[in-house]
Amino acid sequence: MESQSIRLHAVLTAERSTAAQTESTTARFIRRGGLFLAIGLLLYLGVYVFADQLVYGHTLRNRFFVVKTAPLPHYDMVVLGASHAAVFDYEDMNARLESLTGAHVINLSVVGSGVTPNKLLLDYLLVNHSVGSVIYVLDSFVFDSPQWNEQRLSDAHLYDRAPFDPALALLLAKTPATRAELSDYVFGFSKINNQDRFNTDVSDDEAQRFGSTYRPVPQIDTQRLKFLYPNGVDEASLNRYLGEFDDLLQALDARHIRISVIKPPLPERLYRQLPAEAQFDARLVAIVGGHSAQFHDFSLMCNDERFFFNPDHLNRAGVLNFYASCLPALLGSSG
Amino acid sequence: MLFNSLVFPAFLALVAAVTYVVPGRWRWGVVLAASLFFYALFNIGYVGLLAAATGVAYVGGWRVHHLAPGRTRAATLAVAIVAELALLFVFKYFDFFASSTNGVLQAALLPHLGFLIPAGLSFYVFACVSYLVDIFRGDLIAEHHLGRFALYVSFFPKLLAGPIERATHFLPQIRRARGFDADGVTLGLQLILWGLFKKVVVADRLAAFVNTAYQNPGLTSPLDLVLGTYFFAFQIYCDFSGYSDIAIGAARVLGFDLIENFRRPYLATSIADFWGQRWHISLTRWFRDYLYIPLGGSRVSRLRTVLNLLVVFVVSGLWHGANWTFVIWGGLNGLYQVLYLLTAPVRARVGQIVQLPAGLAAVLSALLTFHLVLVAWIFFRAASLTDALTIVARIAQAVPRLPDLVRNYAFSGGVVLSLGLIGFLLMVELVDEHRSIWASLRARPVYQRWAVYYALLGALLLLGTWNLNQFVYMQF
Repeated sequence: MESQSIRLHAVLTAERSTAAQTESTTARFIRRGGLFLAIGLLLYLGVYVFADQLVYGHTLRNRFFVVKTAPLPHYDMVVLGASHAAVFDYEDMNARLESLTGAHVINLSVVGSGVTPNKLLLDYLLVNHSVGSVIYVLDSFVFDSPQWNEQRLSDAHLYDRAPFDPALALLLAKTPATRAELSDYVFGFSKINNQDRFNTDVSDDEAQRFGSTYRPVPQIDTQRLKFLYPNGVDEASLNRYLGEFDDLLQALDARHIRISVIKPPLPERLYRQLPAEAQFDARLVAIVGGHSAQFHDFSLMCNDERFFFNPDHLNRAGVLNFYASCLPALLGSSG
Repeated sequence: MLFNSLVFPAFLALVAAVTYVVPGRWRWGVVLAASLFFYALFNIGYVGLLAAATGVAYVGGWRVHHLAPGRTRAATLAVAIVAELALLFVFKYFDFFASSTNGVLQAALLPHLGFLIPAGLSFYVFACVSYLVDIFRGDLIAEHHLGRFALYVSFFPKLLAGPIERATHFLPQIRRARGFDADGVTLGLQLILWGLFKKVVVADRLAAFVNTAYQNPGLTSPLDLVLGTYFFAFQIYCDFSGYSDIAIGAARVLGFDLIENFRRPYLATSIADFWGQRWHISLTRWFRDYLYIPLGGSRVSRLRTVLNLLVVFVVSGLWHGANWTFVIWGGLNGLYQVLYLLTAPVRARVGQIVQLPAGLAAVLSALLTFHLVLVAWIFFRAASLTDALTIVARIAQAVPRLPDLVRNYAFSGGVVLSLGLIGFLLMVELVDEHRSIWASLRARPVYQRWAVYYALLGALLLLGTWNLNQFVYMQF
């Protein structure tokens, strides 16, 4: 048993070659290694192409995919924001919005993302498309931490269904927050390694919970707030990301793109627990007022408890009610 | 920089390239610099601790070597060992000791230091202690070259989680500075590839299931606990032996041999075989040579032998971490060893009466050994003793209903894939038990060898979990 089990060491300590042999085996090793790498690269390329093609058959919601495959040259309305904006794209909600408004609408919201990821997506859209107006569904929490901004952009899941596009590669290279992700995107590692590659990227919230109604549980509300504001209100982050938001509004003004900033409906019990929301609103209004943008605060409108599928996200009935009751006010003012 | 990061292969390639380009007499310097850089990437402060452990062993070894046999020499050795173990105690055990003491005395007498355990501390402290003892015993001459000695302690492939290398084996290799050996490098790369497969494809996939099952055992279904426990057995094996394979492979690429740390442990046919020949061999041998034998080993009375075994295994458990779960894990394994020792005559008698075919007896012995080890793993993995006992109780209650539970279990694709990977691993090990896979592979035509390499690389790419999970044994 012992003699059998030390075979590895027998191999390791095999007799050494002579100097001349070593020289020729070294050259042979390098030659073979090169060939091995070359074949490996070809195989990698094949897997890469396959993974890239697979994305087209199994992707619905990835925002880089949505932009890359956006069929129209012009969109009347772009919806930006975090998960509170994503519900307007669940199931047939975007189609309903388009039919209600008669506008072509594209939703580029990303769950848990602040102004930095949103700006990146808008910039990507603007590379090959034109835009009439932007509806920015805004949450205060995304201004409180890099985790919802720069760090959010390092999530491999953002790129695991992003089809290869030189324009996006260039944009990622130009954006400081995404330079580290450029190699992953260009070499397609996350895409090839995506374990969910044969499933469609519809979230559990959309697939399973969107039609349900949440019954408030104080502990869950508390957990949710703790998740959204892990460090409370961070003044430095707030200043920084409000500054970025200000820059975004300025850039849109310069391109003559209309912008409406809205705060989405929230259950009143949750809204009352948001940290320093009134101060945030005051600063937001001041920034929006400095541009040709509209601000609509729907926080405490269209917010009956039955309109939410979890502590803070509108359910199907909630979105439809929002379209019927709150949207006209938004459309009326933004033209 | 973890072995399972995409940066590591580039780092290793660079170090190897420089190592083989510089003259042989400077190679130790290149590898030492790379090792310190590697360690500093975790925390620059750790390098100071590594230097302290190295310095104590170097000076202590030098003194012990030059002193004549006698009390002064023994005292010097004791001081050096105590200094080494003090580092371990302060950084690894003090808080556990403080909470246990405060708990017993019902008073907050001792403060909590709150240190994070520096990566690899337990491993390099043990390397230093073995160096000191080997000199004291006359098995080794003290290394006069501080740089070479520092490389023995800090060699980056083994620094974080072993194998716990002996100076008698490693220092001569540093002095010899072996040249480029294509076969050795190829074997090293094969081991790295296989180690990565075990870690990234198998261990980290199983870890996700195990973490969920063990997070709240009171609320986890009994079958998930059973599956979680089986999966953990393979997770810990693939994680640690994967690390060891990468370490041995990386060392081989640089021209060094490290000792083998695992030999298909779940094919062990007895608990003595498991610990003596197959699982974490470098640690088991360390305890054998520096604790068990000095305590008298098995050349004392039966009672003393039993006590020695229990002491060694409890200390081994404690070495893994400052937690009662590890103490129980070690104690349980010690108990298995004691029972194995004490029941030897009975087993021999039963063997004479019930004469099973050799193959069947081996399979049954391997299954029994595996399940004994499995029960002990519950204590190793559980977050607390309460959790461990809950898991044992819930699994025990579920055993009679197991066939029904399995029939009604909704096997997800992930679970089926995990079971398939475990099956594949066992198949490879069964083949390897009879003839080395690597030796067999060497005899195959190049296109067959490369097909195997590309298949493993493909599995890493397509099935690997690349979220940079730390290796489990790095926390020890």
